Amino acid sequence: MMVLIPILLPALMAPVIWFAGRRSSLAARVLLLVTALLHAGGTIALYRWCDAPMEGEYLGVDPLGLWVVSITSLLFLCVSLHAFFWLPMARKYEGGAHGRSLMSEHLFCSILVCFLSTMTLVALSRNFGLLWVAVEATTLASAPLICFHRSAGSLEAMWKYLLICSVGIGLALFGTLMLGVAIQPPVGAEPGLGFTVLGAACNTVNPAWFKAAFIFCFAGYGLKMGLAPFHTWLPDAHSEAPSMVSVLLSGALLNCSFLGIVRVLGVAPASLRSFCNGYLVAFGVLSLVIAAFFIIRQSDYKRMLAYSSVEHMGLLAIFFGLDEEVTGLIHMGVHSLTKMMLFLIAGNILMACGTRSVEKVRGLFERMPRTAWLWAAGMFLICGTPPSPLFVTELLLVQRAGWWLGGTILLLLFAVFCGMSMIVFRMVGGKAAPECAVSRDAERAAEKLAWLPGVLAVLLLGWGSLLIWNFMGRL
Amino acid sequence: MTAWCEAVLAAFLLTDIMLAASSRLLHCIRIVAAQGLLLGILPLVIRSWSEVHPDQIWISLVNIGIKGVALPLLLILAMKQANVRRELEPFVGYSLSVVAVLGLTGISFWVGAQLPPPVEAGVRLAMPVAFSTMLTGLFMVMARRKAITQAIGFLIFENGITLFGTGLMIEYGLVVELGILLDVFVLVFVMGIALFQINQEFEHIDADKLNRLGDWSAPDEEDAEALPTPAEEGR
Repeated sequence: MMVLIPILLPALMAPVIWFAGRRSSLAARVLLLVTALLHAGGTIALYRWCDAPMEGEYLGVDPLGLWVVSITSLLFLCVSLHAFFWLPMARKYEGGAHGRSLMSEHLFCSILVCFLSTMTLVALSRNFGLLWVAVEATTLASAPLICFHRSAGSLEAMWKYLLICSVGIGLALFGTLMLGVAIQPPVGAEPGLGFTVLGAACNTVNPAWFKAAFIFCFAGYGLKMGLAPFHTWLPDAHSEAPSMVSVLLSGALLNCSFLGIVRVLGVAPASLRSFCNGYLVAFGVLSLVIAAFFIIRQSDYKRMLAYSSVEHMGLLAIFFGLDEEVTGLIHMGVHSLTKMMLFLIAGNILMACGTRSVEKVRGLFERMPRTAWLWAAGMFLICGTPPSPLFVTELLLVQRAGWWLGGTILLLLFAVFCGMSMIVFRMVGGKAAPECAVSRDAERAAEKLAWLPGVLAVLLLGWGSLLIWNFMGRL
Repeated sequence: MTAWCEAVLAAFLLTDIMLAASSRLLHCIRIVAAQGLLLGILPLVIRSWSEVHPDQIWISLVNIGIKGVALPLLLILAMKQANVRRELEPFVGYSLSVVAVLGLTGISFWVGAQLPPPVEAGVRLAMPVAFSTMLTGLFMVMARRKAITQAIGFLIFENGITLFGTGLMIEYGLVVELGILLDVFVLVFVMGIALFQINQEFEHIDADKLNRLGDWSAPDEEDAEALPTPAEEGR
């Protein structure tokens, strides 16, 4: 029963926010924050039920799902805190200043909590059918959020997102059905797509069907996760969405989609694990290549962050392909937090400068020192410069990968670092162009919003130092 | 497996090829509706009539109702609303499309031959036919320009998945009907076409800005024009 709370609560809050928020936007924002807090509370309560045996076939808590829910919940809490201050500013500086009509706040907030509910459902489902339904629901719930600014570009991004992801989700369903054909439960057992049922029957698996099922699930969920050849929708959606939505898309939704692949891996018989691992590593490396290539020539700083998500999802796939699962999960959490910090700052810069073009943003150190420092620090953190926690996880990965693969990964990570640092230093340095800013007010507002990313940066640095300390101790 | 069942699957393959060849949208939608009806017939003829389970009758009714009647009607409505009749300049011509679909069918049968027949019952032919229908749908999504044809393509893709589910997953009961949830996407696409007037490739944007979202062009915020307010919030 406890499992239902974090899933149902946000879903039930959605109509409340919608009705209450129609009167005053303050009510919508407060209720959003309250929902986030309650969800965080519910998630903490789940830790007590973590080891309890799973009774239900459909919902249950396991360490993996709980980790993903925790990341999602933390991200949502931070984001709704940010939204509390950001939404009125957005109306003033991003809507009014450009003569645009933004999505109304009560609608935006109620869709956000629906999105939270669907992501929680993904993480807590114990059945491939339900997992698939939940992933589909995340797509439907997140699509309108991309269109917050109601510009032609954001509509195009939303359409692309829906069209491409719907195909991916269709492929995942095909894979899920094939999984049902591949794994025949022993005679007499109730047929079903539950993880426990399929996991218990994984010795009677039909290898050819399982391979086909894995390929389709991998293609479907991998598309949603932004792995390389299927990533085309991701930079558009993540750059057109308002930054706080980009945070959730990049930091939470991609993890949830990855969870779909991990669940299929979970029922793979040991003999087929190497087949699956080959796919994970190959597409992971391809994602790194694509991300490095597109980051180096990037002219849009939010797209740069989106490609960095492609890069880290690739790394995550490699982690699991090399059976470094625990390190991979730490990497997942750190990436989510760091990406949240970076996207929030990018949103502040966008609000102050009114452009996503790297060329037009100059002299941030001069005009918005706090934002500029954090922007540069975030870049170093995401690239895995020590004391970033990502340094430790990536070091372990390279160590594990061996000469050839490890060398390739290092080279690509270095290319990403070069590309990102060039972009970031171009933005923070130099002389400020006078026509770039929306107004001094917007700049000041953006500076005020910098505290949350600042806190995150300190947390991440602390976590990273601890990890490195720990790691040194093990050497 | 009955002879009727084979006939239904063969008819499915024929509809795929017809879809690739037709340029009139109304014609396309009618063929998709026919596919929906075939999907409704399939669960009833897989086994002999006396073995039909009540679940299968339910599946059949749902398939006919949603895929055979409701979605085609909605598509026709959206077509009228958006005022498009034909797909005039597809990326891939019609005769070439037929050849492509035939090729895809060949590939599907090859893939189907690689997989051993499933342990229990099910229809041997369902897998390749389903796969070729999926590929045809994906091909339509990629090879056609207009949003509404892409929505039709997605519906065909989805019909392929449902065909697979109905053909092979008899013993799983209503799990098969998960595919119905994919129809929500078709609904969303239709709504997008009808309400947001996404007729074709974002034609409300000037032709030179068609690829606004890309990696090599510098992003420009200034030219982002305000959209027409959707009808639902036209207050």
